[in-house]
Amino acid sequence: MLGAAITRRVPATPAREPRRSVRVAGAAAVPPPSYWDALEPLLTRVRKPAQYVGGEHNQVARDWGAADTRWLLCYPDTYEVGQPNQGIQILYEVLNERPRTLAERAYAPWVDLEQLQREHGIPAFSLEHHRPLWAFDVFAVTLPHELGHTNLLNLLDLGAVPIHADARGVEDPVVLVGGHAAYNPEPLAPFIDAAVMGDGEEVTLEIDDVLAAWKRDHLDGDATPGPEARRDLLRRLADVEGVYVPAFYEPRYHDDGRLRQTVAVEPGAPALVPKRTVQDLEQWPYPRKQIVPMTETVHERFSVEIFRGCTRGCRFCQAGMITRPVRERRPETIQKLVEDGVRDTGFNEVGLLSLSSADHSAIGAVARDLADSYEGTTTSLSLPSTRVDAFNVTLSNELSRNGRRTGLTFAPEAGSERMRAVINKMVSEADLLRTAELAFSEGWRHIKLYFMVGLPTETDEDVLAIADLGIRTYEIARKHGRANKVTISVGGFIPKPHTPFQWCAQDPPEEIRRKLSLIRHAIKDHGGLKLRTNDPEEGVIEGLLARGDRRVAPVVERAWKLGARFDGWHEMPTLETWMQALEETGVDLDWFSSRERDEKEALPWDHLDSGLDKAWLWEDWQDAQADKELDDCRWSACYDCGVCPGLSIEHDTGYTGGFQLPVLPQGLGGGSQELPTAPERYASDG
Amino acid sequence: MVQRYRIRWTKEARTRFISARDLTSVWERGLRRVDLPIAYSEGFTPHPKVSFPDALPVGFASTGEYAELTFAAPIVPDRDLARLSDTLPAGMDITTYLAVPDGAPKLARMLRATLWELVWPPVDVAELTTLLTRRCDELLAQERAEVVRHRPDGDRTIDVRPAVLALAASARPTAGGDACTVLRAVLRNDGPTVRPTDLHAALSHEDIAEPALYRRVAQGEPVDGGLREALSAAVVPLVPDVDAEAA
Repeated sequence: MLGAAITRRVPATPAREPRRSVRVAGAAAVPPPSYWDALEPLLTRVRKPAQYVGGEHNQVARDWGAADTRWLLCYPDTYEVGQPNQGIQILYEVLNERPRTLAERAYAPWVDLEQLQREHGIPAFSLEHHRPLWAFDVFAVTLPHELGHTNLLNLLDLGAVPIHADARGVEDPVVLVGGHAAYNPEPLAPFIDAAVMGDGEEVTLEIDDVLAAWKRDHLDGDATPGPEARRDLLRRLADVEGVYVPAFYEPRYHDDGRLRQTVAVEPGAPALVPKRTVQDLEQWPYPRKQIVPMTETVHERFSVEIFRGCTRGCRFCQAGMITRPVRERRPETIQKLVEDGVRDTGFNEVGLLSLSSADHSAIGAVARDLADSYEGTTTSLSLPSTRVDAFNVTLSNELSRNGRRTGLTFAPEAGSERMRAVINKMVSEADLLRTAELAFSEGWRHIKLYFMVGLPTETDEDVLAIADLGIRTYEIARKHGRANKVTISVGGFIPKPHTPFQWCAQDPPEEIRRKLSLIRHAIKDHGGLKLRTNDPEEGVIEGLLARGDRRVAPVVERAWKLGARFDGWHEMPTLETWMQALEETGVDLDWFSSRERDEKEALPWDHLDSGLDKAWLWEDWQDAQADKELDDCRWSACYDCGVCPGLSIEHDTGYTGGFQLPVLPQGLGGGSQELPTAPERYASDG
Repeated sequence: MVQRYRIRWTKEARTRFISARDLTSVWERGLRRVDLPIAYSEGFTPHPKVSFPDALPVGFASTGEYAELTFAAPIVPDRDLARLSDTLPAGMDITTYLAVPDGAPKLARMLRATLWELVWPPVDVAELTTLLTRRCDELLAQERAEVVRHRPDGDRTIDVRPAVLALAASARPTAGGDACTVLRAVLRNDGPTVRPTDLHAALSHEDIAEPALYRRVAQGEPVDGGLREALSAAVVPLVPDVDAEAA
């Protein structure tokens, strides 16, 4: 064979000791090799190669020698899923704005490229310069959920970094995790150096300072740092508020296997690690220079976080519990971020993000002003909100001025009034049906309803109420047009830490499957009503990792060794692999997942403080079981969940007088229809 | 007033991995960033009026991509297309443009043939160039040259010969000081589709490896010794004068 590619000279991964020359601060560092030349010829052999090339608009590519500290920020899933993540983009920007700091990005390679990388000796790499993971000071990974754990181990291994924290030395990067799943990092405890809890903006910069100082003390100069240097770094990190170093804590168990307590065993390590909270979002108007992908991603739009936190108090919702209190961005700041961002990126869609965007105290004015600005243009606006009320329809009308009224999504979450009281989703059936009536009468053609099954205290009657609500909504849909559609989307509930449901039992997949088939059977005579479900088995791994303790860590490692990757992907069914890992490690899945905990049992995350008072959570759990609802403390009295006084902060919203609003929409929360609407615009829509 | 421009652009370096599907949004976002008044289609999901004559396979490089842009208001093409070129990802550059008068022939009719380039790694250069030269002569002397194209939905036999207008293999110096073998071919676009990968199959006889790179060099009218490039009317030679190119 003539002209066959010569064996490429792939830069060798150095042994660990010599890596120090790459790690030192500033111009004294030897820049690590770029793996681009080795990677490029392989890219014609993999799916969606554009995800590996980098070079997007707003990428920041800095010289290695110009930085004293160097971060690799990672979302442990494919680029397609991870690129739009706001957390990574915020930190990428605030770190790269520092004169002596460099941050690059990495995502998980799909299995086809991973195999080629292992064959050819190409380590996990950054997108900007295709630099190897092992060369960076920090490998910082966001964990929005638990299904990236095996990818995290895989990236470390592929990046030539020991997967066990205690095997790492001064030459190795510090492995940090953040994001919602970092509120219980115990199943990852042996693999990470630290977990960072809460809002990342301030704490990340503090960690960067600690790192720069530590490098000056230990890496610069000729002296060879001893084994104590690494421990010194961990100690300095543990001194930063919000940083949890698992190596400094030990779980103690009862004889029957229940956790008694997790205790600090390192002098100076705090008994309780508090989360970090940014009080004033106005000081952090990021991300401004958002990456514009050159290949398809799950959300292609310019996104602005309009507020952080939520106090609706939905008992199943971890995000709502751990991100309290509510901090709003000012309407004029939102408008400016959107205008500058759309111009800078060229995106034709704007997303106004938060946990429940219709709850922003000035959302009516914000939506109207943006709709005015972009009326008649090709820029469209979207607002993820699943609130079930007329106000949401009105808002959606406003935001869809430039487009077609196709689908609206509402999330009643449960089918019966009783069940909604249990989960504290305060919406009545009458509300929902009225909202559906309004939506279809104003020309919307498709309503999607989100529900869960497997909620605590749930009976078959509650499950069947989902089908019933779907059918009633569908009847309204048909009345307004034969082509109108209703979809009910039903998922299995997974209890999460730091919520009132952290004590409850998770339904096993067989039970979820049975409940889904009850619904399927009940709606079978209503052809136009569609049911969408996930595979009930998908919740098994997530549930185990969500509430697991350190004894689950060997399962994660074993599952990864057995080949588990991309645990959330349909294309990669990994449950059997996990079952084998559970069996080999002797860990009892049911004990972790489908067992109800009692008040006295210590939880693996008790030493991690989300601000919520455990006694309050327990009380709320008791209220849930008594079908008792709880109001939103933004517009009614404080019920002492513990967050505000504990963090010495408060809600920062137009409701609480935190700022003066230019225009205050009337009757918020009560289903106002005060916004101007102009249905005649859509006359041609039929 | 509506204005149409035809442009030639490159898809080199990292951008050669962008799929045809994703290109539309790359162009749209670029146009929006420099705020050019691109026209949009009617309807509920308006698309910018940027049309491409044909898709380049993912991974192929190109200095011979074309597009037609329709603007809803006049632009200053020298200035504005340069700004557009600047904002596109590195590797995508607009290299020339031509205003389109009313009644102009369709762009596709101006692109009757393509000059392709197959580049091998810098190994076996002399031997490979000689072998390829012989195979090219043989192929040009044949009336038919059938190859089997393997596809998921079954194999298909294709006659490569009718599409082949000219072929030449040569050795080209590389930036690294080596040389590599390059095959350049002018293929007709107006018959049944023959891809440069089919051409490789017809020449390789299973003893010539896949080239490291396929590149679409330019498109236009076939002429003796090369191709008259569609927008500039300059002749792109089949065998480039290496010294002249280096200069």
